[in-house]
Amino acid sequence: MDTTRFKSKGFYIPGIITLIIFAGLVTLPLFGSLYNVILITTLLMYANLTVSWVLFSGLTGYMSLATAAFFGVGIYASALFLPITGAELPILVVVLIGGLASSIIAFGAGALTLRLRGIYFTIFTFGLVVLIMELLNWWELSVNKILNRYIMLVDNNYIFYVMLGLFVLVMLTFFFIRRSKFGLAMRSIGENEEAASHMGINVTMVKIVTFAISAFFMGATGAIWATKLSYINPHEAFKVLISFLPVLMAIFGGMGHIYGPVIGAVIFAYLQETLQTKFSEIYMLSFGVVLVLAILYMPHGLVGLIQKVWRRISGGKRVHT
Amino acid sequence: MKKRLLIILIGICVVAMMAAPLIMTGCGEEKETTAPTTQPTTTVPEGKPADYYTKEYILIGASRPLSGANAPIGDAAYGPVMKMWEEKVNADGGIFVADYDRKLPIKFIIYDDATDIGTMVRLTEKLILEDEVDLLFSACGTAFISAQAPIANKYSKLLITAEGGATTMRESLPGLPYVFVSLPFSDHYQLPVFADMCAAKGAKTAYIISIADLHGVEYGGVANMEFGRVGIDVIANKSVPITYTDFSLLVKEAKAADPDVFCVFAYPPIVLPVTGEMMAIGFNPPAVIMGPGANFGFYGLSFGGDPLVVEGVTCFAAANSKTSPEFAEAFAALEELVGWANLDWWGAPYYLPLVEIIEQAIVATGTLDNDVLRDYIATHHFDTILGDTYFEMFGEGGGLMVKETHPGEIGQWQNGIVEIVGGGDWPAVVLTSEWVYPKPDWPAP
Repeated sequence: MDTTRFKSKGFYIPGIITLIIFAGLVTLPLFGSLYNVILITTLLMYANLTVSWVLFSGLTGYMSLATAAFFGVGIYASALFLPITGAELPILVVVLIGGLASSIIAFGAGALTLRLRGIYFTIFTFGLVVLIMELLNWWELSVNKILNRYIMLVDNNYIFYVMLGLFVLVMLTFFFIRRSKFGLAMRSIGENEEAASHMGINVTMVKIVTFAISAFFMGATGAIWATKLSYINPHEAFKVLISFLPVLMAIFGGMGHIYGPVIGAVIFAYLQETLQTKFSEIYMLSFGVVLVLAILYMPHGLVGLIQKVWRRISGGKRVHT
Repeated sequence: MKKRLLIILIGICVVAMMAAPLIMTGCGEEKETTAPTTQPTTTVPEGKPADYYTKEYILIGASRPLSGANAPIGDAAYGPVMKMWEEKVNADGGIFVADYDRKLPIKFIIYDDATDIGTMVRLTEKLILEDEVDLLFSACGTAFISAQAPIANKYSKLLITAEGGATTMRESLPGLPYVFVSLPFSDHYQLPVFADMCAAKGAKTAYIISIADLHGVEYGGVANMEFGRVGIDVIANKSVPITYTDFSLLVKEAKAADPDVFCVFAYPPIVLPVTGEMMAIGFNPPAVIMGPGANFGFYGLSFGGDPLVVEGVTCFAAANSKTSPEFAEAFAALEELVGWANLDWWGAPYYLPLVEIIEQAIVATGTLDNDVLRDYIATHHFDTILGDTYFEMFGEGGGLMVKETHPGEIGQWQNGIVEIVGGGDWPAVVLTSEWVYPKPDWPAP
């Protein structure tokens, strides 16, 4: 790995900023209100899903709508091992199980379908969400004779720290994958899969492994998020909206930069929270307007807009990111 | 250099966004309970709350379905009762709270949960932690109150649930001391009564369709058991996905089975099209029970605006204007407020006493302390529109409004209104008409 870039000043400043933000987040429960901890947990949850999604779809160009499937598998891991009657396994182990279970499903599904391309792959991933949801629904109704599951409530600060830990992990994974040969192979696949294949890249293996890594973080996030919900059923756990939100958040933030998906997820989720509670009567309307404007005037997302503004300020010279 | 500045700019944006809620909270944004004091230098009398001088109103929060699939229920069930109560209380100058030595008006903060459980959970926490509401009011729907109850309990916030059954939640009530259930539901005591009614009329077979959510599972399961108890053969018990939209095949199958009793345990978006499909193909079994949905005024108006069209459809209902002069007055007031279409003969008879209980508990205890209110409600009887009203307590846990307060369980559309045609065998029951079995034919198209 080329380590010279880490020694440059260009790495230190964003690194210091990141550390300051990280320090602020780590100490948040000490000085922030409990509600702010909950709010930022929500923002982190969306950030985890969005970065996980970009990790696979952003780099390979394969549009996956399976986020809800992996997130839901994680939720059900908690439903099974963290029932309201008491934890059957340590919470962190359950989070790991949620991630691994999602990874295994992604690996299997990926092995079967990642030879599909374009719209076919997208439709398959969406179908995966519905398939798992309906299978689980059938299983719960026909075999278990229950539909609802209660999950033990966990201390909000604990959930926050686990979510933050996952956020750090997914960001580090994203950061290192992007800068590695593996990331280069993924970008090659995104640019031209056939060319990548001719260059000797095992495209199927790269796609499957990345799909499984991405699913791991989605599943782990679902597992810890479930402890906030207290009650779940298949339709609640596998909400199809969860498949679309990370896509919108990534587009909103911009996928060309590592910070883009995070900024998109954070602003998007915060906007949703604010509009829903402060302007509930016009929430959906205003949310829709913001989205349409964002798509129309920010084709490269918020980060793209900032870069554009910066170019103008700096006299039209190109900014390299 | 420019790259670094750009990264700094982005970093600042992220920090600013992260910090915004903290700053807003720090500035006391919308902390309405800490409004400018009228007597800033006066010491709070001993034993009185810190906001003794500054408290302007009793703040009540609710996460309700203002949009989404449950919106029609929210609009016509607890929503109108909350609105009417707010107007009535505030017209009287508020509720006297001894802790403050004065009457305090009530003020609602209502958020739209968009019929989404995750959103409802988040908004409930916001109401409790950020808005610091004095009282928390119920979400809407069986699954929703099941999710909200542990949250309310976690933060020691009194919660008297409204729309939603508790067949499953009842098992958890011993561990939920702050949760009280007001609404009658499947085995408490609607379906046992309905099964007895069907058996008494000689019904032999039943066909059940239920929505694949907690409501449907509870009602479908209990109906299966209760029909079995009285010797009625359940020839089908079908669960349909929430997303189901085409009911023609389903209704045709039910018609082919020729049941004596046809049950649809689902919400208005299913109850209404199934009714329409039954009319279209002339499927008219001797007994048809549907709900929630058929217990609202809008059900009667949904098929050409004439409630006579749904003559004979059975639903879950507790009281109507004939039940007592008090109910006549209450339903007239609700009709004036939200219109006949939004009258609810199942839920309103329990939501009206629900707010009375809260009001009486506040007046009696003189406090808004949820621990005190909870203990008072758990240990006292209340004189409400239902008469003697109280909760059966589950040890040190939560409570369930006793069935002996129920004036009725089963209603039927007769001459354009919902009559109360079935109830238990306790003194509070007031039936307003006889159950018509078999139901009359649907009107000719």
